[in-house]
Amino acid sequence: MSEPMVTLEGVGKTFASRALVRTRSFALSDVDMVVNKGEIVGILGESGSGKSTVANIITRLLKHDAGTYRFKGRDVTGYSKAELMAFKSDVQIVFQDPYGSLNPRATIRNIVRESLIIHRPDLTRAQQDDRVSELMFEVGLGGQDIDRYPHEFSGGQRQRIAIARAMAVEPELLVCDEPLSSLDVSIQAQVLELFTRLIRDHDLTMVFITHDLNVARLLCDRVYVMFQGRVVESGAAREVLNNPQQEYTASLLEAVY
Amino acid sequence: MSVRDDPLLRLDRVSVALRQGGREMVSGVSLSVGRRELFGIVGESGSGKTLFTRTVFGLHDDAVVSGGEVTFDGRTMPAKSHHTEMKRLLGKRIGFIPQDPFSSLNPSMRVGAQITEALYLARGLSPKSREARDAAIAVLAEVGIPEPDIAFRQFPDQFSGGMRQRIVIAIVLAQEPELLIADEPTTALDASTQRLIVDLIVERSRTRGLSVILISHNLELLRQSMDRIGVLYSGQFLNLFQADQLAHQEVHPYTQALFDCIPTKDKTLADIRPIPGEPAGAGFGLAGCSFADRCAFAKDRCCATPLPINDAGQARFSACIIGKGA
Amino acid sequence: MGNLTSYPKGALEWAAIFLAVAILIMALFGGWFTPYDPLQIDFRGKLQPPSGEHWLGTDGSGRDVLSRLMAGAQLTILSTLVVIAVVLVIGCAIGITSAFVGGWLDNLLMRLADIWLGFPPLILALGFAAALGSSLEAAIWALIFSWWPNYARLSRMITNDILSEPFVAGATALGVPTWRKVVFYVIPNAFDVLIIQVTLDISAVMLAISGLSFIGVGAQIPAPEWGAMIAGGRAHAGSAWWVVMVPGLAIFVTALAFNIIGDMLRRELDPTTRRRA
Repeated sequence: MSEPMVTLEGVGKTFASRALVRTRSFALSDVDMVVNKGEIVGILGESGSGKSTVANIITRLLKHDAGTYRFKGRDVTGYSKAELMAFKSDVQIVFQDPYGSLNPRATIRNIVRESLIIHRPDLTRAQQDDRVSELMFEVGLGGQDIDRYPHEFSGGQRQRIAIARAMAVEPELLVCDEPLSSLDVSIQAQVLELFTRLIRDHDLTMVFITHDLNVARLLCDRVYVMFQGRVVESGAAREVLNNPQQEYTASLLEAVY
Repeated sequence: MSVRDDPLLRLDRVSVALRQGGREMVSGVSLSVGRRELFGIVGESGSGKTLFTRTVFGLHDDAVVSGGEVTFDGRTMPAKSHHTEMKRLLGKRIGFIPQDPFSSLNPSMRVGAQITEALYLARGLSPKSREARDAAIAVLAEVGIPEPDIAFRQFPDQFSGGMRQRIVIAIVLAQEPELLIADEPTTALDASTQRLIVDLIVERSRTRGLSVILISHNLELLRQSMDRIGVLYSGQFLNLFQADQLAHQEVHPYTQALFDCIPTKDKTLADIRPIPGEPAGAGFGLAGCSFADRCAFAKDRCCATPLPINDAGQARFSACIIGKGA
Repeated sequence: MGNLTSYPKGALEWAAIFLAVAILIMALFGGWFTPYDPLQIDFRGKLQPPSGEHWLGTDGSGRDVLSRLMAGAQLTILSTLVVIAVVLVIGCAIGITSAFVGGWLDNLLMRLADIWLGFPPLILALGFAAALGSSLEAAIWALIFSWWPNYARLSRMITNDILSEPFVAGATALGVPTWRKVVFYVIPNAFDVLIIQVTLDISAVMLAISGLSFIGVGAQIPAPEWGAMIAGGRAHAGSAWWVVMVPGLAIFVTALAFNIIGDMLRRELDPTTRRRA
């Protein structure tokens, strides 16, 4: 067994009225979760099941208020400033909405370069530009004019840009919160292919949040099924999705086309 | 055979254009929907599927039927007054189920009153009558609302999304339409509710002998629940086929490519073949096939030759210039 | 910000833009090119109707109305711009801080703004006039003090909206420091709404300054401030229409021009029409 990258033990979250990210999730209670290095872990559930809250806690966009969260064995609540910055370059997130997830007032070059400005101040401007071109090529947007603004790109292209931005800091863990669900069917397949290529080429560890069980079946090694803020079933993707033990998982599977 | 001879709805080379500027958004749609037939229309966003259907059935004010003939139950709509004629049928012989059950119900009106209002408008039943009340409760029970006599007195916000969509369906069924139009009726709902709603529409329509036009971006959903499927792509009508033949018969290259890129239960990662490029969008008035630049089989002439046009009587059709799936 | 010029505009909008630019140029440089000294009294030549010599006539003390109008543009419009610039900076600083910090500070600042909004600007102006003596400065101070809460509340609201966008969450996940978020994420995205508000407020503040001067709380009568010019010409309004009509029209046209531009910007920059183009 490889070393765990993310360990959640009894993690809970109760919401105050204002959330950093707009979610319809309820509070989390008593969530245990492990993400090992090199694993693709799916978190499945309907809207309101708390799966996006888990994503936000793993990326530290939200602070959990019960239980412990250890990243590479170290409790994240005890992080120093330097450790927190290192964490933020190790863990990146890709969101569902490709329209809201890119700063509409920044060019694509600056959006992708932002990561390098923060985490690689050692690079010169020219080196940053080279790295940006390299990343754009990697996500399949090589040859595009990157001095344009997000609204000049399609939904699928924006999602590729969001992925490039996340990959710029060479994260060890990539958290994807429903990255396909607002894309068209033919574009979903393209982005899915991009993810599989990135996983293969970069030895990525990934937390993949989705309500689409068919996508989870294709991509994930292990899955957690969530319902009303709790994990109701977990295990190897093939087993959970072919032979569910819980009634809720079975009902989800039955609803899939 | 008889289905083809006496269709409930027949579209012959129908085109739809924007009212302002007159740009043609969807062109040359020929198809017929038989009595008791479940017909699916599939297309990606920007294909024009929603604009087209809404305009043909008088639900859209920004676009008009700019060419072709629409025949409903043997009566051809006069080109000039298409919109008003269709509006007359809406809510009576044609029922419409919108996308979003959260905004399609009046939040300040009791569920029962919304159904009895529909009963009054469609069938002239007095809203306060015993008969209307009984009919409303019966139809709520029919769509699977538990304790329909209590639901009758409740407000929409006391129901979940799935239950609200059931109420919307109840309102539509109460009108006793012959044709049911549903525009992505499940996209606003949770995945687990999606199938229940589609199954309900299918089952109720079969029982009541209704014809259905279901618009969706999900080809697999339509394949499993509809009889026949029409495919729109960038404003062009590309394909028409029997749903159960999709996996077994040659279809238009776009339909096949779309089918090949959807993750389904029995596909592995290697089975998923993405379509390169992006959909062109509707309204560009391309000379040839709008899918040509993404198509694996495209030849030079695909970009220049006008698309084949279907004869509305045909049950199967492929608008492929090089003859794939025809 | 980028493609303002590409939007189609009607004749009315072009006229308003042309007028606004002309008025701003007049406000900046007009004072140096007046045909006569705007304060030069000439009782023999008083209340002359518009002529080749005095294009817009003379007032009750024989001062050239055109010269006063041009010099007054400087007083009226520059004091308007001063008020706007100061409340914009102070208001946004308070609003953005309030949104970023949140919690008790947010509550404190916003309740303070609410209370402040409760003070009628006129009463404040009278207070300042009593303390500083009736003058244009008193009017400017009064307007600054009563106007900042508008910008504090507006900028706090916009900032909160922007902070809830996923792209800001993405920046947080990346470790983007707060100052960078303000400069590169919040301000550029708030720009549209703020510029609309500024354009609409230019006319409102100008009317307020002229209004205060008219009732004698702002600029004092010999000064060629437009509101004060109307106040000074009131006695002759019946016999010499130009004395009040000219500054009145100037106020009206300027306010209208900036209002039209503001409305146009609001239409063109509306995020619901621009987004997902």
